[in-house]
Amino acid sequence: MITEQGRVLELLLSGQFVCTTIDEDAFRYLQSSANRELVEQQLNVLNRHLSSAADGEVYFCSYSSIGEAERKVLATHFNDVSSHLLPLIEWLLLVQEAMGTDVPLTQGALIRLQEVQTVVEDTPAYAEQLGKISRYSMFGSKANELDSQLKLIFKRLVELGYLVRPNMDKQIYCATGKIDYLFDVLKFVDETENLSLSERAEDSISQPSLL
Amino acid sequence: MNINLNKSGLSLLNALSNHSELIMQTYFSGSVNEAEHSPNIIQNLIDLKVLWRPESDVELRLRPSLRTLLEESLQDESNRQIDANIGNLLTTLTTQAEHYKEALAQQKYHESQAYLSDLTEHVYTLTETLSTNVRLLWSRISNEFGYVSSVDAKIRENELAQTQVTDMLNQLSMFHFDILSQLAGSHRELRHLLVITLQSAFATSTQELSLVQSKLLELLGRFREFKGRTRLLKGFMLHMEQKPDFTPVNYSSLSQVPNLFNHAACIIKGAAPDVYNVEHEFELTSLVDNLRSINRLWQGKKNRVVATALILEQETSIELNEDLLKDEVERYFCQVIDSGKNTRALDYFNQHNLDFDQEVWIYQVLGAFQGLPDSERDFFDIDLAGIEDEIYTGNFIIQDIELGLR
Repeated sequence: MITEQGRVLELLLSGQFVCTTIDEDAFRYLQSSANRELVEQQLNVLNRHLSSAADGEVYFCSYSSIGEAERKVLATHFNDVSSHLLPLIEWLLLVQEAMGTDVPLTQGALIRLQEVQTVVEDTPAYAEQLGKISRYSMFGSKANELDSQLKLIFKRLVELGYLVRPNMDKQIYCATGKIDYLFDVLKFVDETENLSLSERAEDSISQPSLL
Repeated sequence: MNINLNKSGLSLLNALSNHSELIMQTYFSGSVNEAEHSPNIIQNLIDLKVLWRPESDVELRLRPSLRTLLEESLQDESNRQIDANIGNLLTTLTTQAEHYKEALAQQKYHESQAYLSDLTEHVYTLTETLSTNVRLLWSRISNEFGYVSSVDAKIRENELAQTQVTDMLNQLSMFHFDILSQLAGSHRELRHLLVITLQSAFATSTQELSLVQSKLLELLGRFREFKGRTRLLKGFMLHMEQKPDFTPVNYSSLSQVPNLFNHAACIIKGAAPDVYNVEHEFELTSLVDNLRSINRLWQGKKNRVVATALILEQETSIELNEDLLKDEVERYFCQVIDSGKNTRALDYFNQHNLDFDQEVWIYQVLGAFQGLPDSERDFFDIDLAGIEDEIYTGNFIIQDIELGLR
């Protein structure tokens, strides 16, 4: 039998972002500082360190000291993240607009594929946008049918850990803490590169009123 | 009991139940479509003060009091009104308490009973109002202002709720329990109503309201966060449209890698099965049992060659022993052919001093004869020398064989 601690360690070492959606028990385990201490000690043996993101909503495993080999791993990881950034953001906006809630996806948000599909099918602009998103190398779809494009995108997002599918019989997906992590990344990029993204969006919204 | 009042009350309730569909339709749509219903019914409802026409050229609507009754009984989400007029109710209470005390002092007991029941009614109205208001606020919080869709609208609704909470708290500060307790004096009923009942209602609602207030602030923060996130997403899209070649600096090459990008690689892979672990035997065999089909074709030639080679080795070692016997039998047959004489197998055996078992030898000779192809067997003739078993009839024990050419 594996202990809770062992299970949590395994999750962390397999590169998972531990949040309540992925594994509620593990997340609750990590919320206690005594348990965090224990996990931290064991991770330290492997030159690893327990990190958290999105205001402590997500835990993941990072390197404690970074040498050449680690830097290489981090570089590939970073390349993945930065190349996924644009497709993911376009997808997030599409889902947000299609669901009509005006609320960006956060951890625990449910997406019913059927609902999204109905709206996207009925709106040519969304359908076009979806086609564009599905052709990014991150998804790499060659399909022309909207149905298969959408399914492929969701399948790929589950593989990458942005979504989970709680029931394999149903097309209902649940956003994980990795989405919140993505927002953190976006915020970080915004701040370090001085992009002032929020102001830009604000400007574009207020412009039509000037005309 | 006022008989007239009783009668008209009953007729009002009957009218409500008779025209329930019209009323509910009006409740949801807001106004009555007069063309759809007979003018008699509509006139009747207007007379009963169920419907009213706010201005001469607008459509008929439900009376606000009836609408409030429906909203509260149905716990409808769209009900956003909060009746915060506690001050007014409190003054009524004080007045009625004075009436009651005066009646008691003048020993008008019937009158005092009437005042007391009025007073009780008012106290319970007040506590009911307080708890309804709190419940209304909570229901709005629990569905996160689900009745409006955009985040901006949610923020506005939240602000409205916050002002309502502040109003409620201000009104609650008008409860002065020292004055109320002075007013109640030593009258047991009054004290119970004005102090105990009101105080418990006051305590629970102030407590709940402070919780509501903190929850509202938290929600407001969340809505603002949503807005911020949406702005970030949209801003990034705009940025990418303006500068399609934008890529962030590779932060992992900085001397201090930001914590966010320091994500260690996966180092755990699935463990391999240990077939020597007895404890796992059951699981492993059940796994093997569950294999639907075993397809060995893809395994390639190598595996199969190894497997057959193993069997070949065994076969050759057995053949080595048999070969001696077989060769000797062959020689025996050749001698018969060469000499052309009939030869007994045992004679040949003795002549050549063979070191097999006699029985094995005879058996092998017989076997070799039977094993010849038909065309070759026809050249030979065989005679079995032996005896019948002494006890069991039908058993012939072969003692020797004579082989000759036909």
